[in-house]
Amino acid sequence: MADIRDRYDALVIGGGIAGMQAALDLGEQGFEVLLVERTPSIGGVMVGLNKVFPTLDCSSCICTPRMAESAHHPRIRLQTYTEVRRVDAVGTGFRVELDCKPRYLDEEACIGCDECELACPIEVPHEFDDGLGARRAIYIPHGNAIPQKAVLDVEHCIFCGKCERVCPTNCLDFTAQSRTVHVDVGAVIVATGFDILPMGAKPEYGGRLPNVMSPMAMERIQSSNGPYGRVLRPADGKIPRSIAYIQCAGSRDRSIGVPYCSRVCCMYALKQALLLRHYIHDVDVTLYYMDIRAFGKGYEQFYRRAVAEGVKVVKGKVARVTEAENFDLLLRVELLDEGGRVDEHRYDLVVLSQGLIPAWHADGIIDIEEDADGFVHTPEIKLNPSFTTMPGVFVGGVAAGPKDIPDAIVEAGEAAMAAANYLKRFRWRSRTPAAAVAV
Amino acid sequence: MPVQTTITAASAAPASAKPKRPIEILRERHGGMSKELKDYFNEQQKIYKALRAALASGPRTVPQLARECSLPSPVVMWHLMALRRYGEVLDGPEQNGYLLYTLKGA
Repeated sequence: MADIRDRYDALVIGGGIAGMQAALDLGEQGFEVLLVERTPSIGGVMVGLNKVFPTLDCSSCICTPRMAESAHHPRIRLQTYTEVRRVDAVGTGFRVELDCKPRYLDEEACIGCDECELACPIEVPHEFDDGLGARRAIYIPHGNAIPQKAVLDVEHCIFCGKCERVCPTNCLDFTAQSRTVHVDVGAVIVATGFDILPMGAKPEYGGRLPNVMSPMAMERIQSSNGPYGRVLRPADGKIPRSIAYIQCAGSRDRSIGVPYCSRVCCMYALKQALLLRHYIHDVDVTLYYMDIRAFGKGYEQFYRRAVAEGVKVVKGKVARVTEAENFDLLLRVELLDEGGRVDEHRYDLVVLSQGLIPAWHADGIIDIEEDADGFVHTPEIKLNPSFTTMPGVFVGGVAAGPKDIPDAIVEAGEAAMAAANYLKRFRWRSRTPAAAVAV
Repeated sequence: MPVQTTITAASAAPASAKPKRPIEILRERHGGMSKELKDYFNEQQKIYKALRAALASGPRTVPQLARECSLPSPVVMWHLMALRRYGEVLDGPEQNGYLLYTLKGA
């Protein structure tokens, strides 16, 4: 791969589904794009999901073609394992400072054979599996990762050198260091996505107990390439026969600073619950909810299907979750449709339908404003939803606020269109016309 | 006429000093292995040894392994899944709501 050039038409920050969409839409219009991703692989959250609602398509199966397209597009330069340190407005364009972290190997020479990972003697919790599975200090991020290259997590390296001895292409470079790169671009698209609210945000829900799970952990457990190979409890490997979902566990709650509805929790919980009914035939799955918000195309029908296939939905406010013997869980709930009667149930597993929070903040990096909740402020939300408070900087996907995959893709496309208009208006050119023809 | 016109770093160094291996440079740059990581790694090796020894006498569930190895069952589960991930352990049939795990090739 050629090194990063010093000038591009647009910088896209974030290689998730929204960032890839924005980069592809700009690339297809003839613009030269630098797509920067913080982690060692593009694909974002979507490539780690099991299935998507309401179609129940395999998430990685529909995400990986988009990843490959982004990586192989002639006008997209993919730069993984790199953070944007600073973006400054210069004229009508921007000067960008990048921090390219070392993988400690020659990316060109690495063939992704995995020999180094198999030789590495230490195992640590794998971020891709929400910590439930293991990876090694040197590892290929996951089976669908792009680029399919190893990366050394030097914080967990025991410096044994075994990886170097087994590498068939001698690609390891332990003397590599992070480097600072400066690039000029004409427009910027922020597509930095989201994180799930930390599990301990509401201690009364027992987020630190081993059988109280985050929705991402459940996605990974349900996935065919998940950490257990099937749905099991993290505490003891038991096949769960009773599972509760607590809706709005980290949304619509001023006490934890998340007053907004995260928009996707009702649907991902219904989807996971329905799939649990498919994976474990006699499982009892109950959703405790405040309101079911099935607002999208085909979502109401999906909700009805889940209920028809045996998912129980109960209007109730969960007060607390505590651990009983054998890692079982006691859930105390106020049943809103029964005059507020307080009931207690025992479950094998509890999933907290955690809300979405921003994965990244502009503070100190780009001078755009954020809303009080930390998502990127969009001052013209009705007519120009991708505009930020800085001309030439646009936002797409969940970086601007919680939304589902189709909405994130639509909004990223809009951000790309707005960026294209901006580039045309100011006649920004990343190459001289002659050079552009030569390509 | 002088025999040697320039003195390079290599020629100036004593003959006994070997060039550092790249892995040693990496270790030095990161201040070596921290005590926490050393303890973590040693503990991990002990847990794997105990799990392999218990599984050598036949298939076991996670609670059975936890009892035999005197380890908390969440710790057993994580390490057993790591062994499974890297091809040392296979999951087998169900026994009273738990899966039985076997050492590959045992």
